[in-house]
Amino acid sequence: MPRGAIIVDKERCKGCGLCLVFCPQDVLAFSGEHNRSSYDVVCMKHPEQCTGCGFCAQTCPDIAIEVYRQKKPKDGS
Amino acid sequence: MGADTIDKVLMTGNEAMAEAGIRAGCRAYFGYPITPQNELLEYMSAHMPQAGGAFIQAESEIAAINMCYGASAAGVRTMTSSSSPGISLKMEGISYIAGADLPCVIVNVVRGGPGLGNIAPAQGDYFQATKGGGHGDYRMIVLGPSTIPEATEHVMLAFELADKYRGPVMILADGMLGQMMEPVVLPKPVDPATLPAKPWALTGAKGREPNIVTSFYLDPEELNMMDVKRESRYRQIEEQEVRYEEHETADATVVIAAYGSVARIARTVVKMARGEGIKLGLLRPISLWPFPYAPLRAIADRVDAILTVEMNAGQMVEDVRLAVAERAQTPFYGVLGGLVPTPKDILREVKRYAG
Repeated sequence: MPRGAIIVDKERCKGCGLCLVFCPQDVLAFSGEHNRSSYDVVCMKHPEQCTGCGFCAQTCPDIAIEVYRQKKPKDGS
Repeated sequence: MGADTIDKVLMTGNEAMAEAGIRAGCRAYFGYPITPQNELLEYMSAHMPQAGGAFIQAESEIAAINMCYGASAAGVRTMTSSSSPGISLKMEGISYIAGADLPCVIVNVVRGGPGLGNIAPAQGDYFQATKGGGHGDYRMIVLGPSTIPEATEHVMLAFELADKYRGPVMILADGMLGQMMEPVVLPKPVDPATLPAKPWALTGAKGREPNIVTSFYLDPEELNMMDVKRESRYRQIEEQEVRYEEHETADATVVIAAYGSVARIARTVVKMARGEGIKLGLLRPISLWPFPYAPLRAIADRVDAILTVEMNAGQMVEDVRLAVAERAQTPFYGVLGGLVPTPKDILREVKRYAG
């Protein structure tokens, strides 16, 4: 079960690749899918490795990445 | 709160150049969408009407530049923008504007080429911008900003120079400068009503002799006269409008010559090299025409090599070699295809010529 997931706003992404450089888990890759401005947008290539650390969202100059984290299970559950 | 009410803002280069255009008193913008320049056009579409100016998304780049021709002939500060393939289409109009002695500001957010190329940053339009591009004997002042604050200043300056010398002025940016965000202190707005009068403009001839704006002179004697007059203005520009920046050149043994985005990467290289004891400097041409031949020549006399770095196959390096002649080595390092060199790439090249 992955600990995190991201959603990329495809129309905001300009394919600069900064998030790829900073992802510590090698989750991200260019998707080959182009947005309306023709930029190759980023996707999760290895979603199972995402920890939800949020480095990608912090480095994104265009605020195109939303990060979701898996809630920690409560004790005894 | 809009950008018109605050002075320091975080903006993309495209947005900042558009806002600077409005603040420079531009009241007629015509354009056509193309990546990576789109935000400039979009910003104009939202803000030009608020400034009381005209915004038209033309049917083509050719239509847009000719609308600039018309607006400029009527005495209005006018601007258009595009990216490489679109600028090629505008070249005919730019030649006509130069031939009719009209001021106009053109922004080229350069992308990879030739042909459609791609939408990544490149510097492959240096020749087109500085050596002609359109037909006939004309010159165009070309400014190569390296940061977004500088691009903003250049737009203000471009309108002043265009009016002063009555000709087209180009801002040669690139996809990186267009898309990147930086904090910008916006310049104070210019009220178009306070600008110097343009007695040559077509403003209605009631009570005076009609003005004629044209680039068409069938009589060779007459065309020669117009060309010679324009040429003398170009000589004046070469004497008065050369702009450049020197960084750590005083004790340098190797100097990088780079403009625009590459120059800001080169500043990092200078710091890295100095940290390793390599005496590296940077000369950054700011006006690409007129080109800073004399400052380069002066540096060439005291260094071993001037390494030109560009995001193209070697264009500005021809001007560097013209300036340096045989006084120093003039190697070239370039990356193609819309790739951007890293500081490490450039430092590796520097080391081939240092010590």
